[in-house]
Amino acid sequence: MSGRRSRSKQSSVSSITDDQITDLVSKLQHLIPELRRRRFDKVSTSKVLQETCNYIRSLHREVEDLSDRLSQLLASTDSDSDQAAIIRSLLMQ
Amino acid sequence: MASFTPNLEPAPDASLQFKPKKPRITLQTPSSCPSNQRTQRIKRWRTQRDQHIYSSKLFQALRRSRRTSASREVHETADRVLAGLARGTTRWSRAILTARKVTKHKKAKLPTNNRLRKPDIYRERRKTTAVERKLKVLGRLVPGCLKLSFSNLIEETSDYIAALEMQVRAMTAITEFLCGGTGGGPQPPADRLPSNVNS
Repeated sequence: MSGRRSRSKQSSVSSITDDQITDLVSKLQHLIPELRRRRFDKVSTSKVLQETCNYIRSLHREVEDLSDRLSQLLASTDSDSDQAAIIRSLLMQ
Repeated sequence: MASFTPNLEPAPDASLQFKPKKPRITLQTPSSCPSNQRTQRIKRWRTQRDQHIYSSKLFQALRRSRRTSASREVHETADRVLAGLARGTTRWSRAILTARKVTKHKKAKLPTNNRLRKPDIYRERRKTTAVERKLKVLGRLVPGCLKLSFSNLIEETSDYIAALEMQVRAMTAITEFLCGGTGGGPQPPADRLPSNVNS
């Protein structure tokens, strides 16, 4: 199997079986909400990867927004340490 | 507010394993599965328990740090706590933890000196297929996963996506808690709430 390509610099796509590839790709597809409902259609690998990248980027953006909001909130509620203790106890019980 | 209902048993750090033994958690836990590591990995970031643990750790970290007025600090703290929860089992988490102090200087791809390159007809350039190009992009998006083999990259991606989703859920919950908790949630007994209750 290693002789399939003559180059030494080969992508590993060629060194695992096609079945493994489709398995992994379908596993990935299952995680993407966009593609989850189309589970039974054949979604091309390229599309799965594209959607994965888009999804990760959108998650990053969401976390950015959330941390933005959190930083503003924390800046305003930073004063009361008693309140912090209360919140901690609520969180950890 | 549901995510802050005290479902957390006092879990010391040592019990942060991904084989939850306590069946009294309301969510389905992997404890019912046989000790199948893969199944546990699938459920890893999805239990309420993990989310609780993350939320409380993140909240503590945010309270401790005095520099949380910058959203970037908050983001980095959130990422660090998330990576810490992974306990070094995944590459992306290790990459996040070791890359802490590096400022975000994306290495510009140095343009290859065109005079030294042979013209394309002499180089046997393997055409990068669309799939390979996208794999590369994916590898750049997941921290620490450039130049990973296909199967490893997919594994890391799956874990990373699950972790990110949990991060979003947890941070949303914390935000709502901080926003609405002082106004509409269970009132903490002290009356000394800050005046920005309605912010």
